[in-house]
Amino acid sequence: MTAATDTKTERASSRLAPTLSPSSPPRGFWLWRFNGAQHSLLLDRRAIAVNSILAILLAFSAIASLASGSLSISVPDILLTLQGNGSTIHSFVIQELRLPRFAAGALSGAALALAGCLMQTLARNRLATPGIIGIDNAATAFAVASIVSTTISLAPSAMALAGAATATAVAFGLAGATGTRGYRFIIAGLAIGAVSGAVTQVMLSGVALDDANAAYPWTVGSLNARNPTSVIVLTVGLGIGYLLSLAVRRGLSTLQLPESVAVSLGTRPGRVRFAALALSVLMTGFAVSVAGPVGLIALLGPELARTVSRPGRIPLTASALAGALLMTLSDLAGRTLLEPLEIPVGIVTALAGSPYLLWILLRKSPDISR
Amino acid sequence: MKLPHYHMIAWLLLAIACLMSLLFGAGSIGPDSALGLLMGNDDPEARFVIMELRLPRLVVGLVTGLALGVAGALLQTLTRNPLAEPGLLGVSAGSAFAVTLAILLGATTASLTTLISQLGALAGCALVIAATRMQGVGQDPVRLVLAGATLTGLLLSLSSLVMLIDQRAADEIRFWVTGSVAGRSWDQLLATLPSMILAGLIIVAVVRPLASLALGEKVAMGLGHHPGLIRLAVILAVALLVGGATALAGPLAFVGLVVPFVARGFGGADIRKTLWLCLPLGPALIVSADTVSRLLVAPSEMPLGVITAIIGAPVLMIIIRSRRIPTL
Amino acid sequence: MTQLPPFVSSGQSPLAARKLAMAHGSYQVIPDLDLELPAGKVTAIVGPNGCGKSTLLNGLARIHKPRHGSVILSGKDIHRLPARDVAQKLALLPQENSAPEGLTVSDLVRFGRHPHQSWLSQWSGEDQRALDNALTAADVLDLADRPLDTLSGGQRQRAWIAMSVAQQTPLLLLDEPTSALDLGHQIEVFELIRTLSREGKTIAMVVHDIVGACRYADHIVAMNNGRIIGEGIPQHIITPELIRDLYGVYCDVIPDPGSGNPVLVNFRQNPTG
Repeated sequence: MTAATDTKTERASSRLAPTLSPSSPPRGFWLWRFNGAQHSLLLDRRAIAVNSILAILLAFSAIASLASGSLSISVPDILLTLQGNGSTIHSFVIQELRLPRFAAGALSGAALALAGCLMQTLARNRLATPGIIGIDNAATAFAVASIVSTTISLAPSAMALAGAATATAVAFGLAGATGTRGYRFIIAGLAIGAVSGAVTQVMLSGVALDDANAAYPWTVGSLNARNPTSVIVLTVGLGIGYLLSLAVRRGLSTLQLPESVAVSLGTRPGRVRFAALALSVLMTGFAVSVAGPVGLIALLGPELARTVSRPGRIPLTASALAGALLMTLSDLAGRTLLEPLEIPVGIVTALAGSPYLLWILLRKSPDISR
Repeated sequence: MKLPHYHMIAWLLLAIACLMSLLFGAGSIGPDSALGLLMGNDDPEARFVIMELRLPRLVVGLVTGLALGVAGALLQTLTRNPLAEPGLLGVSAGSAFAVTLAILLGATTASLTTLISQLGALAGCALVIAATRMQGVGQDPVRLVLAGATLTGLLLSLSSLVMLIDQRAADEIRFWVTGSVAGRSWDQLLATLPSMILAGLIIVAVVRPLASLALGEKVAMGLGHHPGLIRLAVILAVALLVGGATALAGPLAFVGLVVPFVARGFGGADIRKTLWLCLPLGPALIVSADTVSRLLVAPSEMPLGVITAIIGAPVLMIIIRSRRIPTL
Repeated sequence: MTQLPPFVSSGQSPLAARKLAMAHGSYQVIPDLDLELPAGKVTAIVGPNGCGKSTLLNGLARIHKPRHGSVILSGKDIHRLPARDVAQKLALLPQENSAPEGLTVSDLVRFGRHPHQSWLSQWSGEDQRALDNALTAADVLDLADRPLDTLSGGQRQRAWIAMSVAQQTPLLLLDEPTSALDLGHQIEVFELIRTLSREGKTIAMVVHDIVGACRYADHIVAMNNGRIIGEGIPQHIITPELIRDLYGVYCDVIPDPGSGNPVLVNFRQNPTG
């Protein structure tokens, strides 16, 4: 309360003598000056709180997903095992099965949601997410091609990336002059998604049943089909992509204002959009190569992050954390709800997320700023 | 009514498509022996392949194409949205999901499946119409399609869940769900016929008022029609057609988009002209797509739904790319 | 302020257009146009709908690239200057503005500091001073923590102007800053623009309202069909003939008893009546 009164008095005095105004941070921020006040960082207090809470929730969901399964392991045992002092069976289950699965899920969820957040912002449309643009279907088609084909020697990750990039380029080409804004881009994506899905079907219908079974998780999105190399690629890619997206955020944030204002503020919209789109494609490709086309995480993660963040902020970190959290919880639900049957995580997210998407479509404006 | 020459072309196309469908296919019966049979040359093997395999398949294709093309044209006129297609809007998915549930619960008889499928389509239609009457959605063709795509995704996921739980149902459903006109029996075909005829009668009764509804609700009322009644009748017809087609051939997207789009391109926006042209064009599309699906990856077959998606997606883009989405 | 000498090109204009041609696709909006904004003055660009005045403003603000010719910012081609340098010299406020839901006035105005900040200098003392000054100048200090969507039209427009002020540019371009406002708010915004100009800014605004332009502009540029058909101080160039050429209506021009600015009266469609 005193802080608020202080700011008020400061402002009142600044009105009387603007030149004498002390340099206080804007409300809701912490200001950190260093190097003799030459450098300064402005920290969003709400973002710090939100990110901390999401991280704690993610930690809880991690423990829950390590604990549950056909063999339940108690929390103290998990902690012991993580320190390297667990029993052989616990070590095996946690280190060989559940921990890698949790990591794959959290990382791919984070990458998808980060990709979604970037794309929604650059297109100014909350529906413009990799899943709806058809990028993940195309990435899947390419990845499946590398699995079923004997002539393609590229790894699924590389193929998925190529697929994601191709789909984006085609969507762009089809959208024409309207670019990423507007519905043409999204409908182009819908068409690309339909064709890619069909092509995946063709490839799966043309191969022997064994291979087709191996490729099946790819069509719905599942954490069963992950391969270790793809997970490593994803980890590195997500780390780099996250840092680059933080760098692109400053320019991207001005694109929330009308484009001419952004230009007037020194942003080059074309370059910023291209960078953000490229990052988004990269993240999607890597995530799909691990988890397949898990629907709606890219929409729900950023959506959740946006509701709890300060208006006008592009919640990159919060989106990534929320995506990881949603993916982990969905996979946990998929593994435990119908035990011993396992529901692929893509089906869980589709079932949980579609009603929300419908609600957006029918009730809210898809424009991100409303 | 004197038919313009493009009608002749459309019917000619259909005739060629039918002939091709009988002549070509996987297996040992090539065009020559098939043609021989049609000429009166009695070869038992050719007779079996043509009469028992290819002919039913051709007829199923004809009925499905007819139903989906006409249903698409009706739905588009009713919602005044050129993208309103039973497959895209989730009507087909509604009926597919109903059938999936029925199979899960043990239904097998053809007639029961048809009825259930039509009920599912009716539910899907009702949802679509409810959505178009919502604020903002009705004026926005694309939003409706996205909502339809979401509904389809949701229902497909539910179907996947059902398949996961019940392996026996899964095998039956997996074959049917990608769309195919192969392996359907005459019984199944006959089971859909009464409802198709009923739909035809409804359309004949309602087509003139529907054309006036296209000018706006107030105009239609001014001309002495009842918009609510027209809407109800059209929904019923669409549900009968789509439900019947889906029960036969599985959910096929894009047919109801492509066929009326082409028909409007020739005949203009008048629903009556569009419907006349849909009669030959719908079957021609399905029958030739089916023939292609047999030949492309012979000796195995491509799912028919894949072919229609590959044809339909570009058409979707053409409609979107036209400067302004025309409202019907 | 009653009698200004007619503007004479001095070659010292902070922003000028040379042989500028602008087009929308294949449709040529401005064929060939030369213009110099007088330093430290308010220039109003007036003309009928579709005459190319907004296109000119967007060209001057390097939002759209010219087909031919160039825009000269302090002696250099604006499209060859780094985006950030231009952003520190020139601010544009477009006609239609939208901001993310829930954004507060202070959040919005902070965007104006964007060209002065970097990743390692996110909030300097200079930023704080500029923010306070802008909020004070546009008289939105009391509204600083209110979300934009809770403000009235005039308050919102003042907040957007505050954002441009926080950019601390010597040049400010405004596209119809008063178009959606009622009379009271129009006057409020015009007065603010005049105050900013007195503090040394060079301002150009596209204005629909020719009456307001006559009263608040030091310099008027009258456009029709993508060409400048009259330019100068209001007292000199606003004549019944100019109004007829611009809008196809007839009127009488009399001097304002207070300021001497021209006032248009007795609008009619025919020469007599």
